[in-house]
Amino acid sequence: MMMTVSERIGRACLVIVVWAGLAFLTLPLAIIVAVSFTETEYLKFPPQGFTFRWYERFLADSSYLESIGLSASIAFGATAIAVLIGVPAALAITRSSLPGRGVVNAIFLAPLILPTIVIGAALLQYASALGFARSYAALLLGHVVIVVPYILRTVLASLARFDQSLEEASLDLGASGVSTFFLVTLPIIKPGIVAGALFALIISWINVELSIFNSTASLMPIPVKLFNYVQYAIDPMVAAISAGTIYVAIVAVVILDIFVGIDRVAASQK
Amino acid sequence: MRIRNGWAALLLGVPLAFMAAFFLVPFVVVVVASFQNAAGEWSLANYARILADSYYPNVLYTTFKLSLLATVVSFLIGYPIAYYIVNVVRSRAGRRLCYILVIMPLFTSNIVRSFGWIILLGRQGIVNATLVTLGLTERPIPILFTELSIVIGLTYILVPFMVLTVAGVLQTIDKSLVEASLDLGASRFVTFAKVTFPLSLPGVIAGSLIVFTLAVSAYVVPSIMSGGRTVVMAMSIFEQYGSLFDFNFGAALAVGLLVVTLILIALSLFFIERQPSGRQAVQ
Repeated sequence: MMMTVSERIGRACLVIVVWAGLAFLTLPLAIIVAVSFTETEYLKFPPQGFTFRWYERFLADSSYLESIGLSASIAFGATAIAVLIGVPAALAITRSSLPGRGVVNAIFLAPLILPTIVIGAALLQYASALGFARSYAALLLGHVVIVVPYILRTVLASLARFDQSLEEASLDLGASGVSTFFLVTLPIIKPGIVAGALFALIISWINVELSIFNSTASLMPIPVKLFNYVQYAIDPMVAAISAGTIYVAIVAVVILDIFVGIDRVAASQK
Repeated sequence: MRIRNGWAALLLGVPLAFMAAFFLVPFVVVVVASFQNAAGEWSLANYARILADSYYPNVLYTTFKLSLLATVVSFLIGYPIAYYIVNVVRSRAGRRLCYILVIMPLFTSNIVRSFGWIILLGRQGIVNATLVTLGLTERPIPILFTELSIVIGLTYILVPFMVLTVAGVLQTIDKSLVEASLDLGASRFVTFAKVTFPLSLPGVIAGSLIVFTLAVSAYVVPSIMSGGRTVVMAMSIFEQYGSLFDFNFGAALAVGLLVVTLILIALSLFFIERQPSGRQAVQ
C-alpha cells in the first residue's frame, strides 16, 4: 500500500530512533573492545596505538585463569544437571495428567522472577546451617536453580509445537515408550534443548549476584573477580578481561544463530 | 504420547526433590530467620528495626523510584525496536542482525556492561567530550556516580528483556486486522494507535513487570554506577549478609523488598484491570 508523505516521515523517524537504540545497546561493548588494545597505561578513548600487552598480562596471571576455569566448570556442570532436571520435568508436565502440574511448573519457573540476590542469600544461609557454605557445591547447586527455568521454558515450547502423531506412529509400529523418546521425541526437541542449554550456560557464566554470596578469595568465578577489581581500580587490563568475555558472548550468539536461528530463539525467550 | 501418571511421577520426582531441597527450603529458611533474633527466639525486632527510622524506607523509596524510571525509559527505547523488528524489517537476515544486536549485551555480564558505561560517562569520557565539543556545556558535567548514571546503567541492562517480550506479543497479532484498518482508510498512525498498540499491551505489561522486578533486585549496576553514593535495597541486603554477617536482619530486608515489590505489582495490575482497555490486556 502507498504511504503518504507524513507516513514516510513517520517511518524515517522510527528508523532513526530504532538505530539510535541499537547503537545504545552496542556502543559500551564496542568501547571496551577498543580501549583494551590501547598502549597507554590508563584507559583512553580513542585508544592510542595497538598492543596485545593487556591480554598477555592477564593471561600470565594464573588467578584469572583459575577464575575462568572455575566459571567454565560451574557453567557446564550446572547446565548439564539442569538439562537432566528440566527435560524429564517438561515431559511430565506436558504429557501427563498428573494433578498439580501447574504448581510444579510455577516452582520451576519461580527463580526467573525471584530476585537472584535473595536466592543467593537464601543459599548462603541454608548452606551455612548444613556446613557447606562458600564451597564449590554451594556455587554449583545455586547455579542449577537459576538456569533450570531457561531449559524448561525452551523444552516446553518445543513440546507444545510438536506433532504428536509421529510418536503415535512409532508406538503403533511396535516401538516401546522409551525407544520412541530416544528415536523420535529427542531428535525433534533437540533444538529446544540446545537453545535452552546455551542460554543456561551464558546465564551461569555471567552471574555475579548469586555467586558473590558463596565466593571466597580462592573460589571466585570470573565475573565476581572482575566486580571486586572494578570497585578499586579501572585500567586497560580490566578492559582486556572484559573484552575476553564479550568475545565469548559473540561466539555464543553466532553458534545459536547457526544451529537454531537467533530469531527463533528470541521468539521462544519471551 | 501420553505418559501414565506413575511414570510421570517418577520423571518429576527427582527434579522436584532437587528444587525443594535447594530452592524452596532455603527460601523458607530465610523467611523463618527474618522472624527470629540472633539467639534464635521468635521476634519481630528485625522488621521493627527496618521501620525504626527513615533510613531503610528512604532506601526502599530510592530503589523503587530508580526502577520505575528505568522501566519507563526501557519501554521508550525497547518498544520501537520490537515494532521495527516485527513489522518493518522484511528480510530474515535483517531481523537476525537486529536480534543479534539485542541479545549480544544479554550474553555479557552486568559488570562488563556497567564498566563500558564508566568509560563512556566519566569526566574525560566520550559523552562529556561530545557535550563540550558541541558547546552544550563549558566544562564536563558530573554524570557518573549520580542517580542518572544508575538509571542509564539499569536501562542498558533491561532494554533487551523489554524488546524480546514485546516482540513476542507483536508477532502474534493477526496481520489481517492491520490490513482491514488500512483498507478502510485509516492512516498508519491511526492504525497503530487504535489496532496494533492496544493489541500489544499484554506484551508491554509483561515486559514492564519483568523489567521492574529485575531493576528492583539489581545489585551490580547500582553498586558500580553509584560509586557508593546512592544505596539501593540489594546493596543493603548484601551488606548484611556479606560484611556484617547479620543473617536475620538481612533476611528481613530481603523479605521486605520481596513483599513490597509484590504489593506494588498487584496494585498496578489491579488499576490496569479497572481500565476498560486494560482488562482485555491483562486477560
